[in-house]
Amino acid sequence: MTTKIKESRGRKVFNVCNKIILALICLSIIIPIWNVVITSFAKDKDVIGNDYLLIPYSFTLQNYNKILHSGYMNAFKNSLYVAVLGTLLSIFLSVPMGYALSRKDLLGRGFLMKMLTFTLVFDVGIMPFYVVVRSLHLINKMAAIIIPVAMSTFNVIIIKNYMSSIPESLIESARLDGCNDMGILVRIVIPLSVSIIAAVTLFYFVSYWNRYFEVIMFINDSRKYTLQVVLRGLMFEADDALGGQGSYVYSNTKMAVMILGMLPVLIIYPFIQKHFVSGLMIGGVKE
Amino acid sequence: MRQKELSGAIRQPLGVRIKRQKFLLLMVIPGFVWYCIFKYLPMLGLGLAFTDYGFKAKVSFIGFDNFKRLLTSSIFWNAFRNTLVISLANIVFYFPVPLIVALLINELQSFKAKKAIQFLIYIPYFFSWVVVGSIFVNLLSPTSGPINYLIQLLGGEPIYFMASTKYFRSVIVVSYIWRQMGYGAVIYIAALTTIEPQLYEAATIDGAGRWGQLWNITLPSMRPTIVTMLLLNLAHVLMIFEQILVMYNSAVYDVADVLQTYVYREGVLSGDMGYSIAAGMFTSIISLVLVLTTNKLSAKFLEEPIL
Repeated sequence: MTTKIKESRGRKVFNVCNKIILALICLSIIIPIWNVVITSFAKDKDVIGNDYLLIPYSFTLQNYNKILHSGYMNAFKNSLYVAVLGTLLSIFLSVPMGYALSRKDLLGRGFLMKMLTFTLVFDVGIMPFYVVVRSLHLINKMAAIIIPVAMSTFNVIIIKNYMSSIPESLIESARLDGCNDMGILVRIVIPLSVSIIAAVTLFYFVSYWNRYFEVIMFINDSRKYTLQVVLRGLMFEADDALGGQGSYVYSNTKMAVMILGMLPVLIIYPFIQKHFVSGLMIGGVKE
Repeated sequence: MRQKELSGAIRQPLGVRIKRQKFLLLMVIPGFVWYCIFKYLPMLGLGLAFTDYGFKAKVSFIGFDNFKRLLTSSIFWNAFRNTLVISLANIVFYFPVPLIVALLINELQSFKAKKAIQFLIYIPYFFSWVVVGSIFVNLLSPTSGPINYLIQLLGGEPIYFMASTKYFRSVIVVSYIWRQMGYGAVIYIAALTTIEPQLYEAATIDGAGRWGQLWNITLPSMRPTIVTMLLLNLAHVLMIFEQILVMYNSAVYDVADVLQTYVYREGVLSGDMGYSIAAGMFTSIISLVLVLTTNKLSAKFLEEPIL
């Protein structure tokens, strides 16, 4: 009897501490983001000091209005272009491959799976990759930031795992009805895998949107720069380093560009997060 | 190979099987070609480390000259040391965090609270390194950042963290944890949900307390996930690049320049490609050895090879 009470008291203390720790962790994530958001809506005169931190006391859309009519929009368009085209290519490469790998009788399946998983643990680094892209004459072309990064092993494996769970009997009966593998994929498997394909589409979109070093490595022409590159210049380099604006950029404008840089991710995020958990059961990598 | 022989009770000739699977094989080909060009061709490209590829039109084999140059370069050794220090700090300080956070979240009673926290801590993982770096620049700014505001409030002098050789590595590790913590935690939580509740019931009947359950059931059940995460971590930790490239500046080269950023400056910016491939090879090969060793150890002592 006494031990039970004792333990439940210890348990109570633990629960309180646990909640405090988790709350602190949550705050450590919310506060930096919140600070960016409120600053992006603040007026110039309010952000000159260093006390505009947590409580917003001005609201204006002028910062966003300013960026909408500036060079940043060109970078935004480049990012969007790369992300949309890239995502399409990625899906066209990954979905058929994922399906084929999900078929247990595929010729050379074991070899292909080894080939894919090996890339997860062996990374040759940037230079050999750069040499390959350069010798394909892709430098300074938008294709250089799309094609060489078009596939992600994790995403292929997520698709493969999901499609493996589709009952064999469905596929067999379609085959008996005279469907070939192409027909099975288009008519049976894809309609049953819409949710996972949607999730992978969004992962790919985010990965293209967020790319930075491939862009500065492969693209020299600043008109082709994506938003991440421009944002990095704005936040980390001298204020007038960008397109010779020459004037001091207030932090509220900077934060508005930053919001632009994370906007698609913030919009898409609620839709991907639940799939990611179900999609990436890590055991599936092992095969 | 073994698998094929086992399944081939009534095996058809290869030609027939290829013909029967022609559409399936067609689906694999584009992806297969992509992997050959962009993942495996670069591996062959490592051979260029033994050439003077880069400046001259004609590439010639120069044996170990690049490696000799490396070993005498103080910038290389500085980058090498920084890579090891930052990677070690990442493994020691980052690796346990997602597991601990996952266990803490799992102790919450409310299902809604669990979901909400997972939702929240996973957000930073979807931000680019540029955005994460920018958030930290903003947070740590000596003129308008909250952290320095606090320091001044407590009577201290503002610190320029991003340009301080004393603090920069900590900024790297903390921002790494900030961005990646949720990703790891979500995977561990998924693994936690697959543990059979009966195991805990049985343990309770046997008189195991909370700690006993943690050591005897929870952690052993999660071992495959933990080992897999460790392997993936080891494979990439030494290749740290984009985060540093985004966040460093010439004021902190001494403590922040890692091998991949050194390789980037020598190879891409200066065009000395053979040499920089040689420099990059160090970390690639050390990483591979680390991963294969861990896998061997895991196979031997835990009876579960992950790869």
